[in-house]
Amino acid sequence: MITINKSAVYILAFLALAGCGKLQNNIDVALPSYSAELVVECYLEPGQVPSLAVTTSVPYLSAALPQVPTDVTVSLTMPNGTVVPLPFKPNYAALVDTSSGQKFHSHIGRDPLVARPGDVFKLDVRDTQGRHVTSTTTMLPPVPIDSVEYKFNDKTGAERKAYFLTSFHDPPTDDDCYRLQLHKGNPAKGALLKRPEVDNSIEDRLLNGKPFVVGTTYRFLSGDTVTATLYHTDAAFFRFRQSIRDARGANGNPFAQPSAIYSNVQGGVGIFSVLSGTHITKIIK
Amino acid sequence: MPVGSAKRYLLLVLLLGLGWPRVGWSQEAARFLLSGTVRGARGEALPGASVAVPALNTGTAADSLGHFSLPLPAGRHQVVVAFVGYQQITRELNLTKNQRLNVALEESGNQLGEVVVEGAATLEEKLKTTQMGVEHLSIREAKLLPALFGEVDILKTLQLKPGIQSGGEGTSGLFVRGGSADQNLVLLDNALVYNPNHLFGLFSVFNSDAVQSVDLYKSGFPAQFGGRLSSVVDVKLREGDRQHYVATGGVGLISSRLTYEGPINKGKGSFIVSGRRTYFDIFTRALNKANEGKEDYSPIPDYYFYDLNAKANYTLGDKDQLFLSGYLGRDTFGFNSSGGFDFKFNWGNTIGTLRWNHVFSPKLFVNTSVSVSDYKYDLTNKLDQFSFKLGSSITDYSGRTDFEYTPNDRHVLKAGAQLTQHKFGVGRLDANSGDGRVNFGSDVSYYGLDGALYASDNFKATDKLQLEGGLRLTGFRSGSNQYGGLEPRASARYSLNDRTSLKASYALMYQYVHLVTNSGASLPTDIWYPSRLSVQPQRSQQLSSGVSFLLGQGKYLLTNEVYYKWGRNQVDFKDGAQLFVNPELDAEFIFGKSWSYGDELYLEKKTGKTTGWIGYTLAWSWRNFQPQRGTTGVNNGQDFHPNYDRRHNLTVVLLHQLNARINLTASFIYTSGSLTTLPLGRFGVQDIPGSSTGIDPRPVPIYPNRNSYQLIPYHRLDLGVVYKIGTRRNQDLTLSIYNAYNRRNAYFVFFETVKDKATDRTTGFQAKQVSLFPVIPSLTYNFRF
Repeated sequence: MITINKSAVYILAFLALAGCGKLQNNIDVALPSYSAELVVECYLEPGQVPSLAVTTSVPYLSAALPQVPTDVTVSLTMPNGTVVPLPFKPNYAALVDTSSGQKFHSHIGRDPLVARPGDVFKLDVRDTQGRHVTSTTTMLPPVPIDSVEYKFNDKTGAERKAYFLTSFHDPPTDDDCYRLQLHKGNPAKGALLKRPEVDNSIEDRLLNGKPFVVGTTYRFLSGDTVTATLYHTDAAFFRFRQSIRDARGANGNPFAQPSAIYSNVQGGVGIFSVLSGTHITKIIK
Repeated sequence: MPVGSAKRYLLLVLLLGLGWPRVGWSQEAARFLLSGTVRGARGEALPGASVAVPALNTGTAADSLGHFSLPLPAGRHQVVVAFVGYQQITRELNLTKNQRLNVALEESGNQLGEVVVEGAATLEEKLKTTQMGVEHLSIREAKLLPALFGEVDILKTLQLKPGIQSGGEGTSGLFVRGGSADQNLVLLDNALVYNPNHLFGLFSVFNSDAVQSVDLYKSGFPAQFGGRLSSVVDVKLREGDRQHYVATGGVGLISSRLTYEGPINKGKGSFIVSGRRTYFDIFTRALNKANEGKEDYSPIPDYYFYDLNAKANYTLGDKDQLFLSGYLGRDTFGFNSSGGFDFKFNWGNTIGTLRWNHVFSPKLFVNTSVSVSDYKYDLTNKLDQFSFKLGSSITDYSGRTDFEYTPNDRHVLKAGAQLTQHKFGVGRLDANSGDGRVNFGSDVSYYGLDGALYASDNFKATDKLQLEGGLRLTGFRSGSNQYGGLEPRASARYSLNDRTSLKASYALMYQYVHLVTNSGASLPTDIWYPSRLSVQPQRSQQLSSGVSFLLGQGKYLLTNEVYYKWGRNQVDFKDGAQLFVNPELDAEFIFGKSWSYGDELYLEKKTGKTTGWIGYTLAWSWRNFQPQRGTTGVNNGQDFHPNYDRRHNLTVVLLHQLNARINLTASFIYTSGSLTTLPLGRFGVQDIPGSSTGIDPRPVPIYPNRNSYQLIPYHRLDLGVVYKIGTRRNQDLTLSIYNAYNRRNAYFVFFETVKDKATDRTTGFQAKQVSLFPVIPSLTYNFRF
């Protein structure tokens, strides 16, 4: 549990301050050799042109820039069995552009995707070194947001802030997972492409088939435009994100157990999923 | 082992219990039994006190209650009763029948009782006992040694003994001969302690003012103990002064203690009440207040712990005595976030034991006790009308009875029964809102019934050969799941001569309850889980042997022990396992094998102005978890070392009484660096549109191998001075210097992202080593009035 681990770190840090001197030092670490793997990130979305990013994993202490292999061919198999090649057309500018919110892709198709709940897609990625990554994913039906609302605290001035509640109803099927994002700003001006205010991963393990109400802390000001986006995801996507969180959390936390990465691709590392989302926008007054 | 197949062994237990004594009885019918209790002048029992008849070259040691039984031939004898740290006494007796002898020993000339190091037995008795792999520590010993923040901690002192590792810098967790921290049976006056730590393992729950002694068994486990694989930590509370009302206490760097004790009904009994509380929270609140309003102000959370120990005993007559003891401890942690969240988290143990000691005859006595042990944590988040509560608990109700029968000087028979009902509150979750829109809860609870029967005989076959055999039949039931097993225990001692003994032991142990944690550290959110469905009992076996030499006219004891321990059904958890409030928790376990082996060398000196010990351990610990249950196992199914594996461990402890007022102490420890898991590779993810801008600069680490990186060796020197003040020397100032030469030991290593300050772009990665405690001096004032 992250909260507990962080609590322990806070207290240990305080105790350490009871002493004096520098308690953190640079050291040289000789890591054993590491064999790179293909890393695939592909999020299909109805109405959007299919694209994906193929990179490779690297030894931890190697150069910082992403490694984009140029010898990779990608094909996407549509629900009707049609195989659509996704040519190598990298938008390298997105790797250094941190303002537009544009995502990097190494391969991109030509036509917008047509997808319905229940449709099954297959991905095939291979390079000239014999590395071969495959995956299959199914589009889930979107889950509507029932309502969004907010409530201000009883403070005044700059301290007067509101929390935000998003309500939806989980379907009776098992293993439904969700990703709820709250973006602040005008969607017409690209606000939904920027870093969200809130980004929660939720599973229905304890509330299967029941209503969900997801809240925030007091953090929104009067006049803020808030857009709630609810993605209905499968358990594999949820688990991939959790394993990334756990793996990152273990670097620098002496109480955390390092986690393996749970991918839903075979032959490499990564995730292949169809985004099935719904949005609601509300202005805080 | 199925319950049915174990039944036939019960007969064997009874045969062992009844068969051996008959042999001895017929040979020793003409002798009488001298029995009684050895106490200190304040009425406290003195476990391990020596009762000997030098002319006959025979003797015995008092048990954990101070009781002893010594068969002797009829006639006149000079009986010498001694205990290190107390004045020896000699009594003349004319033994014409079974006779009782109760003695009270005066302390050897110090008011605070912190001058002389004592042991369970003299070195000669340690040489002669069949029990091996046991470490006894009195609170006097622990109080003399330098301590982190001046907080005397009996568990940390045990870490200075061979074969016992700490989990990390400053922590009180015990890792015994390759076993994990949850495989220790920690008992406080016979009641189980589920979480013996405060503050995430930095301090143990045992208040030094209330504890009398602790015995830690690493091997050759006596048959009366069971339920954990690696060790038994048997902590005894003090009984209180039977003669005077006394207040003792201390004011330290981070906590203060106060104890009050005295007689009940003119010395027919006694009581002791002892409390301790930290004051981190006072400092942190002041610090927060000073920093409030500053830019980047981030309040330090409130934290404190307290514990309260109490014990009373009352003598009902010559043959009956009652003991009532209890413990209550809590850690409390909380803060209010700037976003309006009110977060509270508290955890702790509640323990109580009522014990009745009855002496049937000088040859036979029984201890019967009932106890309750409860450990729980509660975590609460509140925001406006919304609240979220998470908790877990385990509650035990136990009863046990233990008989000890000494038919003659060749046999000491022990037998008993234990029964425990467990309630495992594995997870409890409540979420509510004031308007009723949010209202759900989940409670995952199980019950378990744990029983054991045991019998053992300590058999003095010849003057040179002594054997101890025991059998323990255990069973566990949770729902419709039943498990059981027979746990044979055996040990032997052969004296080559008066100065040299050879010893060997074997023990098999089952563990029916399992700690659910994937932190590798002792956290308050750890959950206990019963054996059920697919989670089978853990099992281990251990073989050990050793040789002991008495050197330097009996001043030194040199012991060398080797051991091999192997276990199956060891538990671990899947990566990313959902451990909280999971009704399908069974599915998150994975199972593997463990094995460990090593050599422990130990030289100790217990008498004279300079005492102490040197211990060296050479050890290996291994684990293997094959691919299973949809996982690749641990370390891809390859053998790996747990993170507490240490190849070399050297400890040197010295205590020197400079004069009647000043004691000097030093302890030095050197161990191989601990093992840790570092990422070998990394990759970047950019996530879905609208999640971040560009590829997330935080790399995702890839950890192909478990515990493959070794931190730098750990070494540390601690120094201490105890200076007695006051005309009666009933006060002292204790100076501790932790990590005297300011060694930067590695607590953990991580990789930091290096960024270009102008562009804020990642340019590389740098390994960082974090140390926890630099040199930390502390001063504690202790008093006794």
